[in-house]
Amino acid sequence: MGTIQFDVLTISGAILLIATFGIVATRGFMDWLNAYRYQSIVLSGVTAIIGYVTGIWEIYVVAGLTLVIKSIIIPKVLTYVTRKLEIEFKLETNPYVSIRASVIISALLVALSYFLIQQIPFKSDPIVNAYIPVSMAQFFIGLFVLVNRRTVLSQVVGLLIIENGLFLFAMALTHGVSLLIEIGIFVDILVGILISSILLFRISRTFDSLDVGKLENLRDD
Amino acid sequence: MDNLISDLTILFLLLPPIVGASLVTLLKKKRVIGIITICTASLILIQVFFLVSRIVSEKTITAFGNTFYVDSLSTVILLSVSVVGFVAALYSKNYMGRQYDNGTVDDKHIVRYYQGFNVFLLTMLVVPVANNLGIMWVMVESTTLVSVLLIMLYAKENAIEAAWKYLIIATVGLSFALIGTVFFYYANINANTSEDAMNWTGMVHNAKHFDPNLVKIAFVFILVGFGTKAGLAPMHTWLPDAHSEAPTPVSAVLSGVLLNCAFYGIIRFHIVSSVSIGPEFSNQLLIILAVVSIGIAAASIYFQKDMKRMLAYSSVEHMGLISLGIGFGGLFGIYGAMLQIVNHAVAKPLMFFASGSVSQKYEAKAMSKIKGIIRVMPVTAILFLIGGLALVGMPPFNIFLSEFMILSSGFKSGQFIAMSLVILFLVITFAVFLRHLVKMIFGNPLSEMKKGEMGKLAIIPMTILCSLVVIFGIFIPMQLQILIQNASTIISGGGFA
Repeated sequence: MGTIQFDVLTISGAILLIATFGIVATRGFMDWLNAYRYQSIVLSGVTAIIGYVTGIWEIYVVAGLTLVIKSIIIPKVLTYVTRKLEIEFKLETNPYVSIRASVIISALLVALSYFLIQQIPFKSDPIVNAYIPVSMAQFFIGLFVLVNRRTVLSQVVGLLIIENGLFLFAMALTHGVSLLIEIGIFVDILVGILISSILLFRISRTFDSLDVGKLENLRDD
Repeated sequence: MDNLISDLTILFLLLPPIVGASLVTLLKKKRVIGIITICTASLILIQVFFLVSRIVSEKTITAFGNTFYVDSLSTVILLSVSVVGFVAALYSKNYMGRQYDNGTVDDKHIVRYYQGFNVFLLTMLVVPVANNLGIMWVMVESTTLVSVLLIMLYAKENAIEAAWKYLIIATVGLSFALIGTVFFYYANINANTSEDAMNWTGMVHNAKHFDPNLVKIAFVFILVGFGTKAGLAPMHTWLPDAHSEAPTPVSAVLSGVLLNCAFYGIIRFHIVSSVSIGPEFSNQLLIILAVVSIGIAAASIYFQKDMKRMLAYSSVEHMGLISLGIGFGGLFGIYGAMLQIVNHAVAKPLMFFASGSVSQKYEAKAMSKIKGIIRVMPVTAILFLIGGLALVGMPPFNIFLSEFMILSSGFKSGQFIAMSLVILFLVITFAVFLRHLVKMIFGNPLSEMKKGEMGKLAIIPMTILCSLVVIFGIFIPMQLQILIQNASTIISGGGFA
C-alpha cells in the first residue's frame, strides 16, 4: 500500500465530511440538495476507489448506480418537489440549535465516531481505517439533522445522509454485500423517496404547512 | 429432482400475490378485484398448509441454491401470515365496499388498496423464507414502504401524519438493523470466507468463530433496528398511530403479523448470537426491552381513550411477552413465545375486525362514545368480548396458555425482579382493558341506533378467528404442536432441529 493511495483515501474521506458539513451549515433546502448531490458524487468516487483497491468489479457497478441514482435521480425528484412547494411555502427555516452550534455539535459527533470506532475490534485495513469513522460520522450527523430542523423536508435530507453513511459503512467494511442486495437497497431508497415526495405534497395540502410541529394530532391524551 | 420440487414450492408460494397484484392493476373492476385478492390469499393459505405437513416430516427445505431456506421457525411465521392474510382479504371485501358506499374512498383508491394488499402479502411471505439476511432486510424495509402507502390511502390529516411518522421512524430504525446485519456479515467473513457468508445457515455454521465483541455490538444494533419495527418500547412510538389510522383490514395485518415478521428478524440473529457467545447476553437485553414494553403498554392502556389505539398498545404488550419468553429461555419459555406468536396472530386481527365494524357502525373510535354494542350488534359484540377476554389472557382462551408458559418459565429461570414487574403490569392491563371492554359492550347506546350487523363477509372472518381462539385454548392440533416444538428446538438448540 503506497503512501499516495493512503493519501487518496484520507483526502476523499475528508471531502465527504466537508460535504456533510455543508448540509449542516446551510439554511435553504436547495443548498442542502446541492450539498447532498456533491456528497453523493464524492461517495461514488470513493466507491470506485474501494473497487480499485480491492479489485472487485461489482463495486464499479455499484459506484455507477450510486452516481446515477443518488446524484442525478433523487436530487431531480426532490428539486421538482421543492420547486412546487416553494411557490406556497417558506422553505428556509431556522434549526432548533443555531447553525454555529450545529457545526460545533457535528464536529463533536465526528470526534465521537472516531473514538467509538477505535473501541470496536476491526481488522486493520487502510480502507476500514479511512472510511469507517467517516461513515459513522455521517450516520450521526444525519440523525442530528433529522431532529434539528422544523420542516418535514429536512427529515428527508436527514434520512438521505444516514443512508449515505450506511452505504459507505457497508462498502468499506465488507466491500459491499452482494450486488443483488445492493440493487435491492437502491430500489428501496428510490421507492422511499418517491413515497415521501407524495407524502410531502399531501402534508402541504392537508396541513397547509411543512412544519413538523403541526404533525401532532395523534396523542394518547 | 428434489431440488426442482423445492424450487417450485417456493415459486408457487410467491406467485399468487404477484399475479394477484397484476390482475388487480389490469382489471380495475371494483367487484372483481376484491374476489381476486380473496383467491390469492386462499391459494397462499392452501399452499402453506401443504408446506406445514412437509416441514413437519422433512424439517427443512432449501430452494434456488441457498437463497431460500424454510424451517419450522419460518413456517410458524408463514402460517400466521397466510391465515391473517386470508381473513383480512375476506374482511376487506365488506369493509372497503362500505367505505366506498360512504364516499370515503373512490374507485382509484380501491384499486390502489388491493394492489398494495397483494404486494404487502408478497413482502411478508419473502421475509420468513429468505435465507440471505440482506434480502430479508430489503424485504422488511419494503413492508414499511408498502404499508405506508396503504395507511395513506385516506387523505385524512391523521392518516397522513401517522404514515409520515411511521415512514421516518421505521426507516431510521431499520437503518440500525442494516448496520447490525453488516456487522454480522463482517464477523462471518473474518471468521471464514465462504460463498454464503450472508446466508443465515452459513452464519449459524460459523458462529462459533465470530469475534465476541463484534457480535455483541451487532446484536445491539439488530435489536434496536428490528425492535423498532416489531414495536418494542421505547422504539414503539409510531405503532399506535399507524395501527389506529390504517384501514381496518390493514391494521389487522400490521398488528397481527407484520410485527411477528419483524420479530422473526430478531429471533434469527438471536440464534446466531447465542451460538456465538452463549444466550446470556441477548437474553438479558430481550428481557429488559420486554419489561419496558409491557410497562409502557400498561400505562398507555390505563390512560387510553381511543379503541384502536388501545388495541395497538396491547400489541406492544404482546411483543413484549414474546420477547420475554425468548429471553427467559428454556424450552418452556421459548415454546410459550412461539405459541404466543401464533395466538397473537389469531386474536389481534379478530379484535381489529370487531372494532372496525363497531367504529363503522358508531362512526366513532373514542371509547366514551361507544356504549351497548350488545344491543346494537349482538354477534359482533360476543366476538369482540371473546377476543378481548383472550387478549388479556383469560382462561380458557388461547393466550392464557402461552402467557402461562412464559411466566412459569420466568420463575423457573429465577428472574424474580423482572417477573414481579411484569406480573404487576399484566394485572393493571387486565383490569383496565376489561373495564374499557365491559363499558363498550354493555349498557345502553348513547343515541338511538338501528340494530344490525355489518354483513356476512364481516362476520365470517371474525367467526373463523374466534373459533381458532377458542380451539387453541383447549387443544393445539398435532401438526402445529410438532411445528412449534421444532421451532423452539431451533431457537434453543443452536439453529437446527
